[in-house]
Order: sequence, then C-alpha cells, then structure tokens
Amino acid sequence: MAIHFQHVSYQYPSGSYQFYQAINDISLSIPSQGEMIAIVGQTGSGKSTLAQHMNALLFPSSGCVDIFGSTIRQKRDKKISYNHLRKHVGLVFQFPEYQLFEETVQKDIMFGPMNFKISAADAAVLAQKAIVQVGLDETYLKRNPFNLSGGEKKRVSIAGILALDPDILVLDEPTSGLDPKGKSQMMELFTAIQKQTDKTIIIITHDMDLVYRYMDRVIVMHEGRLIRDESPDRLFHRKNLAELHLDYPETISVLAAIKAQFSLDIDIYQKDMDAALVELRRAVGK
Amino acid sequence: MSYIEVKDLSFSYTGKRMILKDISLSIEKGEWVAILGHNGSGKSTLAKAMVGLLEPNQGTIAYDGVVLTNDTAYDIRKKVGIVFQNPDNQFVGVTVRDDIAFGMENLMVPQKQMLEMIDFYSEKVGMKDFLDKEPSTLSGGQKQRVAIAGILAMQTQVIIFDEATSMLDPYARRDLIEYIQKLNQEGITVIMITHDINEAMYANRLVILKDGTIFSDGDKWSLFKQPEIFENSHLELPFSLKLAAALDDSLPEEKAVKDFLWQSISNT
Amino acid sequence: MKNIVIGQYIPGKGLFYRMDPRTKIISVITLMIAIFLLGSIPQLLVAFSVCAVMMWVGNIPVKRVIRGMKPLIILLLFTFFFQIFFNKEGKLLLDEVMHVTVVSVLGIVLWTILWRLLARIGKFKTVLLLAYIMGIFVLFRFLPFGYSFTTFRFAIYEKGIEMSIFVIIRLVIIISLSTVLTLTTKPTDLTQGLESLMRPLKIIGIRSEDFALIISISLRYIPTILDEAFKIMAAQASRGADFAEGKLKDKVKQVISLLVPMFIIAFKRSEDLADAIESRNFVPGKPRTRIHELRFGWTDIGVGIFTLAALALTIVLKVIG
Repeated sequence: MAIHFQHVSYQYPSGSYQFYQAINDISLSIPSQGEMIAIVGQTGSGKSTLAQHMNALLFPSSGCVDIFGSTIRQKRDKKISYNHLRKHVGLVFQFPEYQLFEETVQKDIMFGPMNFKISAADAAVLAQKAIVQVGLDETYLKRNPFNLSGGEKKRVSIAGILALDPDILVLDEPTSGLDPKGKSQMMELFTAIQKQTDKTIIIITHDMDLVYRYMDRVIVMHEGRLIRDESPDRLFHRKNLAELHLDYPETISVLAAIKAQFSLDIDIYQKDMDAALVELRRAVGK
Repeated sequence: MSYIEVKDLSFSYTGKRMILKDISLSIEKGEWVAILGHNGSGKSTLAKAMVGLLEPNQGTIAYDGVVLTNDTAYDIRKKVGIVFQNPDNQFVGVTVRDDIAFGMENLMVPQKQMLEMIDFYSEKVGMKDFLDKEPSTLSGGQKQRVAIAGILAMQTQVIIFDEATSMLDPYARRDLIEYIQKLNQEGITVIMITHDINEAMYANRLVILKDGTIFSDGDKWSLFKQPEIFENSHLELPFSLKLAAALDDSLPEEKAVKDFLWQSISNT
Repeated sequence: MKNIVIGQYIPGKGLFYRMDPRTKIISVITLMIAIFLLGSIPQLLVAFSVCAVMMWVGNIPVKRVIRGMKPLIILLLFTFFFQIFFNKEGKLLLDEVMHVTVVSVLGIVLWTILWRLLARIGKFKTVLLLAYIMGIFVLFRFLPFGYSFTTFRFAIYEKGIEMSIFVIIRLVIIISLSTVLTLTTKPTDLTQGLESLMRPLKIIGIRSEDFALIISISLRYIPTILDEAFKIMAAQASRGADFAEGKLKDKVKQVISLLVPMFIIAFKRSEDLADAIESRNFVPGKPRTRIHELRFGWTDIGVGIFTLAALALTIVLKVIG
C-alpha cells in the first residue's frame, strides 16, 4: 500500500486559527497502482484536510499515516524528509491563484522540479512535456500566467505538479470552473495518465456525473468521518444519498424521474448519454 | 417603454477590441432574465455597465426613463444593486451588521432607521443570528446573503447577480438560487449573469451573449426547440434536454417523454 | 470559528469598556504627559498607586497588564543598565573589580549553556533571564583565576540606582496605560475614535474619514489574508518549497513564491472592492451617517475631569519644585 491511514484524527491546534476542518478516526488504504479514486462530501466534511495528510502537509493529531514507507505521526521525525514525500504524492489545490507566481508559464512549471534538485535544463524539458499533457500548446510556455483565462491557469497549475512525475496524484476540484468541453478533456487526461502509467489518481469533487463515469472507487466524507468507501455503482444504488448531502448523477436522476412519471421498466443506472438513450428507447419501445 | 432600456450599447477597454457591440435590451419590472454566455462573451462587462461602473463608448442605459450618466448614477444606484462573484471581495464591514449598514450609511439613512432595516433584512435573508459575526467565520453562501440584505436595505428593486453562485459549492448554489426565486416572486427584478445552463433554467427569459453581441433573446421554451442555438453559442444543454433533443418526435411514446423532460426544466 | 484577537482587545465589562474611545485616547495621552512632568520617585510612586487603583476600579486583570510588558522586558533591562553604568553621580555604593579571565569566561560559557537548557522547559523565561544576567556579574566578580585578559571596574552610584528606578517606574506606568487602552477598546472603535479626533485635519486637506475606512477595511481582511497566506504556503510546499527548510538562496525564491500570489490576490481584491463600494453609493468626501455613533457619557466626563485635574496637579508640582 502506498498510503495507509491508521485511525487518523486531526484537530487544529487549540488557540490558533481554524483553517482546517477536523477529521476523526480515518482508516484507509490507497494503492500505488491503478485506481481512480474520488473523495466526495459536502463542504466542511474534511476532504481537504484528508488530502493534505496524504503528502504530509498536515500531521495527524493521533494515529499515523504511512506514506511510501515513511510513518507520519504528530511529532516531527528528524529522520524523515517530509519535503521529499511531496515528490511522490503530488497535490494540486483548487485555486491556481495560490500557486502561480513566475513571469512565464515555463518558469512556473519548472519551480516544482527545481525544488527537488532537478537541473534547469531538465526542468525545462519537463515543463514542455507537462504543458502539452494538460492540453495547451508550447506557445503557452512563454506567456505570463496572470494573463491566462481561469481554465488555462488551472491547467498550468496542474502541469506544475505533473512535471514532478509523482507516483500518486491528488487533485482538489480539478474541473471546477471549466466548461463542459474542458471538463471532459481534463478527465480524459487523467484517465490517460492512469492507463499509461498505472498510477493512482485521487480527485476531490462535487461532480457526481464525473464520479460515475470515470472513477473506480468513491470515498465519502461526512462531518470529518469516512462513512463510505466503495465503488460508484454501489454508492449510487443506495437510496439515502440525500442524508449524506450528496446528489445522484444526472443520468440516474433524470431516468428515475422518467421512470416514475411513465411507470416504465428502466434500468436507471446508465453512465452516459448514449447508454441512457439506448436504455430509454428499449424501455419505451416495449 | 420598459423599465430598463439598454440601447445600442458598445464598450471597449482599449479602443481596439469591442467587448460589447450594439447591445439592445428591454427588461420589465419583475422579470427574471438570465444572461448566458461563454467566457469572454462580455456578460460581466454588461453587468458592470448597467450599474455605471463602466462608461460605454456608445449607446445608453436608462432606468424608468432616466439615462445613466455620471450625474444620474448616484440616484440610479438606489434602484439597482449588484452582487458580485467573489463573496469575500465585496464584504466591506467588519461584522455582518456593519456590512449591511454600509450602503445605507452612504445614503445618509439616520442611525435609528438603519438599525430597524438591518433587523428586518437580516431576518429576511436568514442571517439575523449572525449580525455580530465577522466575515471570516461565514461560508460563501452566507456572505452572498449578507450582500443581498445590504442591497435590499437600500430599497433596491432590481438586483443583478454577476456569476454570484460560481464560487459556491452545488448545495450553496441551489440554496442561493432558491432564495433568489423567492425574491423574484416578491417582485424583485432579477438579472442573472451566468454560464451555467441549469441556473439559467430558473429564469423564463434567456438572453444569450456571444462575442459581445446578443445571439438570442427569448423565452426558454422557444429556445429549447432550437438546440442549434445552444451549440453555436458555445454553451451546452443540460443532460435532460440533450436527451430530449435525441428523442424522436414522430414516435408518440418518445414525444411524451420529450415533453415531460421540457416541462421538468421549469423548476418551479 | 476563527478567533482572532487583533491587538490586545479582550471583551469585558467595566469602567473602561463603557467609555467613548475618544476620551480614552485623549486621557491616555494627557496622563502620559502628566507622568513625564513628574520629577521624583515618591511622586511616581503616588502616580503608580493611582494607576493601580484605576485599574482595580475598572476591573482590569493585572495579569494581562503584566503579560503586556513581557515583550518589553529587554527595553526595561536596557534602560536599567544604561542608568547604572553611565550615571556617576552621588554616593558610591558599590565598587568592584571585574575580572575577565580564562576561568571566568569559561564559567560564563557554562552558565550560558545551563541557562539555555533550563530555558527549554518553557516556563519562567523572564525569571531565568534575570537570574542569568545576575549570574554573569557574580561570575566576573568572583572568579579571578587563571590567565587574565583584562579587568574593568564596575561601579554603582547612588544616583544611578535612583535614576534607573525612576525611569523604570515611569516606563511601567506608561506601558500599563497604553495596555489598558488597547485591552478595552475594539480596533474598530479605536479607529472611529481617531477618525473623529482627526477631523479638524480637514483644514490641511486630510480627510480622516478616508483613512478610517482604509483602516477598518484592512482590519476586516486580516483573517482572510492570513488564511490565504497559509493556503499559498501549502500549495507551494506541495511543489517542494518547504518554508521550514532550505538555504538562503532557496529562501528568497520561497518568499517570492508566497508574496507574488498574495499581491496579485490583493490587487484583484482592491479592484473588486472598488466596484462593490461604488455600486453601493459610496462617494469619497460625501458625508455619511454611521451605524455606530460615538456618544459621551457620565463616565467620560468623570474620567475627563480626573485626567485634567491630574495634569494640572503635575504642572503645579513641576512649577513649584
């Protein structure tokens, strides 16, 4: 197991600013290979806090997190290079504004690798690869990151972490703020990475359609606790998602509405438009 | 003449590229108009121009017959308010109470009256228990509600929402839209700038902007019968309507489902 | 729930909490002037007791005031030693030869190590510091063994002690007064009070309302900006910029990676705020009503009279003596 949470709890230090939500008794295993994992839950449920334990940005108040063999506990261990772990577990935050700072896109993407002692020449090559990976062409490298659109900034910030070639990729709302075309482009990218390199990709999201279409596993957070860890199919077959403040994917809810209205025998669990259309036609045609 | 008249409005920041080109629009009191457009279509620029934050190169905007100019802006701003996208960057007060008071202070409302209005409008938006709270303790949705209270307290009848939900999570978004629905039912004219079709569905009238011009302007029913409009505007239909569009009108069963899907979009 | 205490304000009840901030500001300044007019230790001691009584009447927790002085302990110590060393008037009280020898220097080194080890415990830092300093003198005085580098004379004169006590008591009173001010006055009230007091500056073209608005908006954003700073540091740390580690060269880059986003966000924020404020009918220079109105009460009148009387008394004392 690449990342292993054992009874991890986190409370912000008392008397200081509460920037992170607490999490409670989380036990969880993330393999280093091949899973597309979604972390879902309403705002404040602890998703970000959980993610920041995965690359040792936060240390647990109790319990421990094992990251590629290093055990992270509350107390700082002099023998562990926490910084180095962040090369293995790459975490992309939701807002690119918190990350972009260089004069050119290329320099900004190079920042990450160079912090890990990669030479400027090699880092430049990595930047070239990364910018293309996120769907922007090389002309973007010379541009000023602050002149880019929201969606372009987002892609540059993701490129900045891809350039580190992490073993596990964690992304906080990578598709928010993108138009539908951009959303599917981004998800195709992650699926492609996952298929080509067999890496695990973890995505925090509110988008249930995305979860249903692309993810193998869903972790549901609620008020700091991990309450579900299963396949999207299993999760969406449940009837009580509203209690967990979760929506159903659009395909399911629309087909369910049609089913109820017309008393049709439809299998509402379809993952995309084409499948839904086929199933609808089949049910209507009877 | 309509309550809000936008005539041949053109605007450019630099003089080279026109952000808005000959925009003409009429909005009646009590309407809910959604202004949809892709990024860069000029919708936010239109919103700012409508409250006089930007001066047009050409054309006029008139409220109840009064044309918006530097001299009339102060009075017109008593009639129309705007809620911006970033809940944090429009919250001026140190507490909720102070923020709701801000606009009234600018209008020289006496203190006693301000306190009454704050009481009334904070209750109306559901933030009465938060009057002494600092903005850093509030969620995005809560801050937007405070912004609305501050605008209502100025007795404004028209509220422009400039992508006011785009920084909120889906639940807060739904919450806010349903609240805006309530406001509209009570008579507030709502102009909602958005790129989210699901949100725009709450309105009856959709104005689609594309590259600075009005691509289409009409009630949503007629628009849905023409999916090409959506395609060409760089917007995408919500799932239910994409499904509806794929169904065959000639088959009665499929048509029934199609009609049902269109009905369900009304959301009220 | 973010509990950020800006400045030292702690909510509470009592005499000073009820006062108008303008009275408090003027009173504190007036009393400080009065204190500076006093010339002898007995006079200062009377002033000190009056202050103590004031704080007791106003329900000010003494512990907090003492805590407010801890950061200034270095200043107090410096003042003390400055007077002791450089004031050579009056009777000679102490005349010692200090030996800087191999043994005494070694002793100082060991003593310093002991001090740092004990300081790790975390408590009684101030006491330890004082003990440390006393120990240095003791060691220099009583270890004239081994090779001697040099000796120097350490003399304490009567006037030196007197002056140092005098200056320290004065400092303590002044620090206490300002602590009481910031302890009992919300930053926003303080701003409004200053704004009101500075209104006459309109004559020279300075609009105090504008400054007050700038300050209150800045105060409102402190928690937000702090939050963003943490988020930026986390985002950059994810890219290997660990703010806790790194050489000087790296540190410069790290700081830039924190400051640039903060500035960009701040600029965007000011643009947006300007739009928001303008759309809500704010016009710079135009009079505005206020949701919070400052109002004088009997407490203000009472304290005002007291302060003026104190000033008058000290002026008389100065003139007489």
